[in-house]
Amino acid sequence: MMEVSASSVSLREFGCEQTLLSRPDGSASFVQGDTSVMAGVYGPAEVKVSKEIYDRATLEVLIQPKVGLPGVRERSQEQCVRETCEAALLLSLHPRSSLTLILQVLHDDGSLLGCCLNAACMALMDAGLSMSCLFCGVSCAITADGRIITDPTAAQEKESRALMTFAIDSTERRVIMSSTKGSFSVHELQQCIAVSQKASEKIFHFYRDSVRRRYSKNL
Amino acid sequence: MAGLELLSDQGYRLDGRKAAELRKVQARMGVFAQADGSAYLEQGNTKALAVVYGPHEMRGSRSRALHDRAVINCQYSMATFSTAERKRRPHGDRKSTEMSLHLKQTFEAAVMTQLFPRSQIDIYVKILQSDGGNYSVCVNAATLAVINAGIPMRDYVCACTVGFVDETPLADLCYAEESGGVSSLALALLPRGGQIALLQMDARLHQDHLESLIEAAMTACKGVSKVLDEVVRQHLQEASVLTRE
Amino acid sequence: MKDTPLSNCERDFLIKAIEEKKRLDGRQTYDYRKIKITFGTDYGCCFVDLGQTRVVAQVSCELVAPKESRPSEGIMFFNIELSPMASPAFEQGRQSELSVKLNRQLERCLRNSKCIDTESLCVVSGEKVWQVRVDVHTLNNDGNLMDAASIAAIAALSHFRRPDVGIQGEEVTVFSPEERDPIPLSIYHMPISISFAFFQQGTFLLVDPCEREERVMDGLLMIAMNKHREICSIQSSGGIMLLKEQVMRCSKIASVKVSEITELINKALFNDRTARKAGRKCGFAESLPQERITALKTDQSEVEMTDVSERASDIIQKAEAPPPMAASPVLPAPGVGQVGHGLQNTWGLEEDEEQEEESSGEEEEIKMEEEQREKDKTTEAVVEISDSEEEEVVILYPETTKKPKNAGSSSDQKGAAASKKRQKK
Repeated sequence: MMEVSASSVSLREFGCEQTLLSRPDGSASFVQGDTSVMAGVYGPAEVKVSKEIYDRATLEVLIQPKVGLPGVRERSQEQCVRETCEAALLLSLHPRSSLTLILQVLHDDGSLLGCCLNAACMALMDAGLSMSCLFCGVSCAITADGRIITDPTAAQEKESRALMTFAIDSTERRVIMSSTKGSFSVHELQQCIAVSQKASEKIFHFYRDSVRRRYSKNL
Repeated sequence: MAGLELLSDQGYRLDGRKAAELRKVQARMGVFAQADGSAYLEQGNTKALAVVYGPHEMRGSRSRALHDRAVINCQYSMATFSTAERKRRPHGDRKSTEMSLHLKQTFEAAVMTQLFPRSQIDIYVKILQSDGGNYSVCVNAATLAVINAGIPMRDYVCACTVGFVDETPLADLCYAEESGGVSSLALALLPRGGQIALLQMDARLHQDHLESLIEAAMTACKGVSKVLDEVVRQHLQEASVLTRE
Repeated sequence: MKDTPLSNCERDFLIKAIEEKKRLDGRQTYDYRKIKITFGTDYGCCFVDLGQTRVVAQVSCELVAPKESRPSEGIMFFNIELSPMASPAFEQGRQSELSVKLNRQLERCLRNSKCIDTESLCVVSGEKVWQVRVDVHTLNNDGNLMDAASIAAIAALSHFRRPDVGIQGEEVTVFSPEERDPIPLSIYHMPISISFAFFQQGTFLLVDPCEREERVMDGLLMIAMNKHREICSIQSSGGIMLLKEQVMRCSKIASVKVSEITELINKALFNDRTARKAGRKCGFAESLPQERITALKTDQSEVEMTDVSERASDIIQKAEAPPPMAASPVLPAPGVGQVGHGLQNTWGLEEDEEQEEESSGEEEEIKMEEEQREKDKTTEAVVEISDSEEEEVVILYPETTKKPKNAGSSSDQKGAAASKKRQKK
């Protein structure tokens, strides 16, 4: 059986700033080590007739790469983020309206999808949209010798055998979304999920701290 | 380009003109019967055809209509055979979209659009042969076409490109001069009030020379306006002679 | 999504304020908003804040074949991406008028003014040159995107370093930053675009209009200049009529503003350089304002790992055992000639029939194998199995007759398949 060495399992330093853009209804930038993503949310607003859904809001997620135009990679990431947000948001509260979430990649140094999810959650919180739970993204990499690395850097991602990203909800620490690459055993998958759940506590704690700090001053 | 001497010591340019001399301008109005207004204009070797439709009801999306004035819709295109190298896309690339935008701006300033609320005026310009000063030739041709269509304007809009070589402004650049790395300035002028409808400049020029360059451009534009005025008068005379008979 | 329209009251208020030489944010007529320039972690990444307007520029490069008309010159490519993040009115993937206008002005400002030595970007004449690509993303539009974009683009270009290349005969080697220090681009001068907004048919003029002011303005004049007071491009837009004197006045103001901004860019570049040299952390993460109440940062943290292994194995134990692997090659369906291992066929076959036959098919197969073996023993010389023989084999089995005719014939085929398999072995 594989042993998990504790040394590799750490989260890089992370930071977040909310309400940093004036135009969007909610905005946040999330920094994990050198990876950083900026998110902006517009809505609920008027929706195009072709995209209208009669009983809930239409959520649109756009991911802008730093160089060039969005391609297939971005589309698949958009899908992952959109499905996670749809699971968390109470979309039925805003029927026939549109929500737009735009994520701008500012620097990619590994765990990009995880960082996108975190930025998205912070921006949705900032926009004041009702959610059934919060969510966070955790990326894990399994190295060639079977060690698990959480929040890998780009170099670590490159050398890893498998890469997984989980979205975890805040109420029961369940997995909302998983995106995996590479080969791994069932045991390894379960271990990664367990590690991610542990790591998610840190991130949710950080969410709580930053929100508490934000509302610490009474007006 | 070092090899080309754009202005000789005697003060002559590549094609034998003096510094402030314009190319020969020839124009005809009313070349098409179908359009509301049309004109053909040659300025040296640059030849352009302009057609005006309107003012008419809004076409396409009605939401673009303005409640207090007319919308001007411009399209600039270059014939595939207009340049030495065959052009792949006659319109739709960034440069021609920009040119369409500039034409639109120029004519929004000059045409009295507030007289035709909720309507649209289409101006289509095509360059048949390109030999420098495309923008200015287009503006001049379109002015004649708009006049031919009987749409009221504040004044003629005349445009001219000027360059700056050896501390001397050169009026009405041809292609060889334009591509020779001269800093060029395109200016659209309403000559009577001396108002600038559009100003555009490329390449480097010291700030101190700007004034003399603009001055030269304005003089050149006024020269063009005289020629255009003559063309219009002649056309009217011909038309009135025809109707009398 | 549409932009929120500006009400008539707001419009009148703004214009009246401008007439009284007052601006919404308390600036004077010729004042610029606060400019903040920060650089990212990698080379050629620059963030510019112009008041609330925010853009990010990223420079990248790749080796491409040069243009035929200019075989020994590198290629510059500029793109201003009007991301929907900046304003709800911007749509993705649509070439709007504004985007054409901004892109062309940036091109004119930076490419036509020849501020970058494109000949130094040539690697092998006529074959390989560097293509330098500048992507400017708008993050927040609070007016005057052009100035912010031009500052970001030129600052990013000055910050950028391209990989070094070595040429040995025909071979071109691109060195990674670890092998050889990347080299900066050679930049002759820094053109910066300055925007002037005109109101009331050109009677009032404002520098650096904000978004509200842009909405009520009649027209815009953009002048790009460098600190040597050389004008790199002028562009007027909107249906305004300018007088020569106004243009001259604007150019004088522009020259002052440009020298201030150039100073600022140089200072930012210098700060970044010293920070990098000192080996300090630099980049966007470091520029996160610590003092703001909306921002928070944590240090690197370990994740508690004590019971992870146990929990994972617990879950696995609790979970149902995975279905055992199929040990022997399975014939997925009748009518499929399969050799070796393979996945189950998921084509639209009737499920019930399939199941039934699979089991019976397997039995058949085993029996058939026995049969075949016997045959092989007896008639070893016979390599080819003729059709008639096969038919015989099938007829030997009484159970096939119980089945509907259709199934019978298909199992027949299967028999053929199985026998062929044996043959291959």
